[in-house]
Amino acid sequence: MTPGVTPGASPDGGGRRRPPDGPAGAALPDDAETAERELAAGTAPTASLAPGGRRISWQKWTCMPAFLAAALLATWLWFRGARLDSIAHQAVDHGKVWLALRQHVQLTAISTVFVLVIAIPLGIALTRPWLRRATPVAMAFANLGQAVPALGLLVLLVIWLGIGARSAIVGMVVYAVLPVLANTLAGLRGIDPTLTEAARGIGMSPMGVLSKVELPLAVPLILAGVRTALVLNVGTATLATFGGGGGLGDLISAGIITQRMPVLILGSVLTVALALLVEWLASLAELLLRPRGLEVAT
Amino acid sequence: MSFWEYVGSRHAQLLTDTFQHASAVFQCMVIATVLGVVLAVATYRSEWAGALATMTTATILTIPSLAMIGLLIPVVGLGVAPTVVALTLYGLLPVVRNAIVGLRGVDPALVDAAKGIGMSRTARLFRVELPLAWPPILTGIRVATQMLMGIAAIAAFASGPGLGNEIFRGIASLGSANALNQVLSGTLGIVVLALLFDAAYVLIGRLTIPRGIRA
Repeated sequence: MTPGVTPGASPDGGGRRRPPDGPAGAALPDDAETAERELAAGTAPTASLAPGGRRISWQKWTCMPAFLAAALLATWLWFRGARLDSIAHQAVDHGKVWLALRQHVQLTAISTVFVLVIAIPLGIALTRPWLRRATPVAMAFANLGQAVPALGLLVLLVIWLGIGARSAIVGMVVYAVLPVLANTLAGLRGIDPTLTEAARGIGMSPMGVLSKVELPLAVPLILAGVRTALVLNVGTATLATFGGGGGLGDLISAGIITQRMPVLILGSVLTVALALLVEWLASLAELLLRPRGLEVAT
Repeated sequence: MSFWEYVGSRHAQLLTDTFQHASAVFQCMVIATVLGVVLAVATYRSEWAGALATMTTATILTIPSLAMIGLLIPVVGLGVAPTVVALTLYGLLPVVRNAIVGLRGVDPALVDAAKGIGMSRTARLFRVELPLAWPPILTGIRVATQMLMGIAAIAAFASGPGLGNEIFRGIASLGSANALNQVLSGTLGIVVLALLFDAAYVLIGRLTIPRGIRA
């Protein structure tokens, strides 16, 4: 495995709503590496700049929520009309749907916080001069970790730590830390060395360079990491049900096991809507929180 | 029973599951590659069509795989069908995106030169543009395959084929002596498969990337 890593989420030509491809962008073959690097270098700095800069078109603002609202409304109307037998009732009665939704949001939020608290400082530490030699090792480890299926990881942790939301959260954090770490590393290493050298040259301390130059330049990247973590975690949280961790996966698995299509569809539609909503909010935040100084395309 | 004893006693079952897992991922990846490249070729010339293709496939990728399978079951039923559809859909995005980026990255002067020596539109596409765009496409395929390995495991919940069945057997017997062995063998099997596929792609890259554009 080559330690080469593209900033998985950041190089991206057109589409603004990018996938959670932190795990995706990881490994590159030797041959394609340079080509890919060039592609990444070519697109990364201006990646999320639409032709109009930060001006987000109103379609961008309203399209996704409108679509989600319509889909949810349609599902709700259909679900109200669907005939539910006692088994289906048992799966959705007594506020179980709200409970599942709340659990899902909690699982996602908690694991995302942990992922960011672990991955971003670790990424910063690994790019400091005294630890820089450890970076290839960390990268190789991260690449290897991508090969572990989320489901297997989660269930192994459940066997180890016991059933419940705690092991689900640990599994989600372990699973999402690697892609976010890989993105952070790739981004911090992608900062133009002449900028940091210039900062050193005017007499800034290493801490000053980090806090006044490198971190501000890395903000878009950190925001991309937040989004990657959120989107990954919304998805992995559906698997928490297999370890008794709750979440919307409960509805889906109940629907599949009992063969009650209304329950299955309700669970699936809610999960999809939540995932798309989270992604939409995160990409919006990514655009709005970007420092203005970085907007000018060079 | 230790892990190796377990693997020894169940090797027939494990091999079948491993083979089915690999074959499901491989076949879906072939479909996804063909579809993805066709989609990219059809859209890369137009700014908005390319953006639309990337955005649509990106949206699909955002959907959690369990929910996607849940939505497919009422339409195509349980078993192999939802697995194949879900795997193919998820495999599309990295291929489409990388193919569009790769095709757009081809130096226009080269295409002009090809036109100048009298190559037809199709010949230009197959003999100039696609070979030049192949390295990023192959990267996309690699990335997609690794992702599909994990998604195929989840698809076993809808009675799909593969090593996910081993993991779900372990979940069903949680607390019993063999639960850990089952989950571990399923998980490690997938890791090994993912690494083998990755190695195969490196080899394919060496064999298929034209000598002239190698780094």
